[in-house]
Amino acid sequence: MTIDPLTEPSTLRADGLALRFGGTRALDGVSLRLTRGVTGLLGPNGAGKTTLLRVLATAVPADDGRFTALGHDPRTAAGRLALRRELGYLPQTPGFHPDFTAFEFVDYVAILKELTDRGARHREVRRVLDAVDLSDVRGKRLKRLSGGMRQRVALAAALVGDPGFLVLDEPTVGLDPEQRMRFRDLIAQAGEGRTVLLSTHQTEDVAMLCHRVVVLAGGRVRFEGTPAELTARAAGRVWSSAERAPGALAGWRTGMGTFRNIGAPPAGADLLEPTLEDGYLLALDGESAEVTA
Amino acid sequence: MRDDGVEAKEMEAAQVTADARRDTATLLRPLLVPVWRTLPRRALTIAGAVGLLLAASTRLPDHAPGAGPGLFVLRLTALSGALGLAFLLDDPARNTSATTPVARPLRTVLRLAMALPLTALWWTTALLLVPSPTRPPLLPVTLQAAATTAAALALATVAVRFTDSPEVGRSTAICLLTGAAVAVLTPNRWGLLATPADPWWEPTQLRWAAVLGVTLAVCALWTPEPLGQGLLRRTATTSGR
Repeated sequence: MTIDPLTEPSTLRADGLALRFGGTRALDGVSLRLTRGVTGLLGPNGAGKTTLLRVLATAVPADDGRFTALGHDPRTAAGRLALRRELGYLPQTPGFHPDFTAFEFVDYVAILKELTDRGARHREVRRVLDAVDLSDVRGKRLKRLSGGMRQRVALAAALVGDPGFLVLDEPTVGLDPEQRMRFRDLIAQAGEGRTVLLSTHQTEDVAMLCHRVVVLAGGRVRFEGTPAELTARAAGRVWSSAERAPGALAGWRTGMGTFRNIGAPPAGADLLEPTLEDGYLLALDGESAEVTA
Repeated sequence: MRDDGVEAKEMEAAQVTADARRDTATLLRPLLVPVWRTLPRRALTIAGAVGLLLAASTRLPDHAPGAGPGLFVLRLTALSGALGLAFLLDDPARNTSATTPVARPLRTVLRLAMALPLTALWWTTALLLVPSPTRPPLLPVTLQAAATTAAALALATVAVRFTDSPEVGRSTAICLLTGAAVAVLTPNRWGLLATPADPWWEPTQLRWAAVLGVTLAVCALWTPEPLGQGLLRRTATTSGR
């Protein structure tokens, strides 16, 4: 399914979300729009990604601002309940009851998602465990599973009940390359017909999965648009040099022994094809902190 | 004339609330077994066993006779039980189940409904283990035990409400022990640890009743999930931000 970000209606609208912890502004007036499909949330450590996801997942209320998701306003008890009924949330550090088996744990979450009919619930639990490729170990206690397997159990718990809005906080952390590919496939499938917000440090996750991307830094949105638009911002601003370029915003040695630099290139520089990562690094720079429509 | 949009929203909200009430009743049965399994059984068992051993120690032949030593032992027994209950709200899966429609308060109430009758039975057993000549007045000592238990639950409730920590039992137990130490160091005339022989025994019972009332109010106030941040703020404990 192809999603046109220009014509797709918004399923989530956030305006001026703010939240502080003590003297720290974790979110500083975040406004954004989400549509169906997978939106990537990029940002450095401490950018406010996890806090934003926790607010949008109704785990913590914002100090200021508002948002509606799938038509529900979580500032009322009824609105929050209605949104939670359509929500799947994979936290950054998912917790488990270690003595539960994978099946029992996802079944418990399914009950908490109000799936009361035992037969239908068990079918749903088997479906999501199968989707994350854990059918073979569903009878194993969680304390006996590897970190990657437990991460998949948490994803299964988020997927149970077929939620319309999925919030995934760094789901590929700690996974080996094969598991990461499998996860990408799962998330791409989940994005068909659903609104998925995916926080990650991996620009390649965004490049492969997302039809839109939001860059967050210092609790503020630095960029909102398509991955192609983010990449295009770096066009003409990436160059190669034999030595580290002193005026570059960032530069690093490549495997070829040359330096890849981003910023304002000197005259006659050997320009390179930009990547999403180049665009992301430029978006983090203060001068480029404008938001594209 | 009322706006149609507002009316439609109110009707939707009423429907959601009605659904929630119906669903809560339907949900209790499937929730019972998993919630029972999430209880911190090890902490509760150890605390309960220690408490009963303490109470049983009054039956040893060399135990000092009289209500004073009996009261001291039963206070230690109550503290032991409260230390176990400090772990009642521990939930290792808190992050994973934080945003489900069946919210944390319902699970908390279920845990309390499972643990408190057993606690009452345990306390009755502890009282019966103390021989009649050593046993202090039952109502005052039970009031003190109830207040100590409520204090443990109130501390745990506050820790859950204002932090993101999934396991608050350890910090709650430390706070409870600190409170107990403060109570011991406070002069009996103004404190909580008078004996029946003291002239200020009656005012002490009023203080215990006040502790019970305040701690129950804290539990009632901060168990529900907030819709806004409120004046008292939570702290961030996640690794990210």
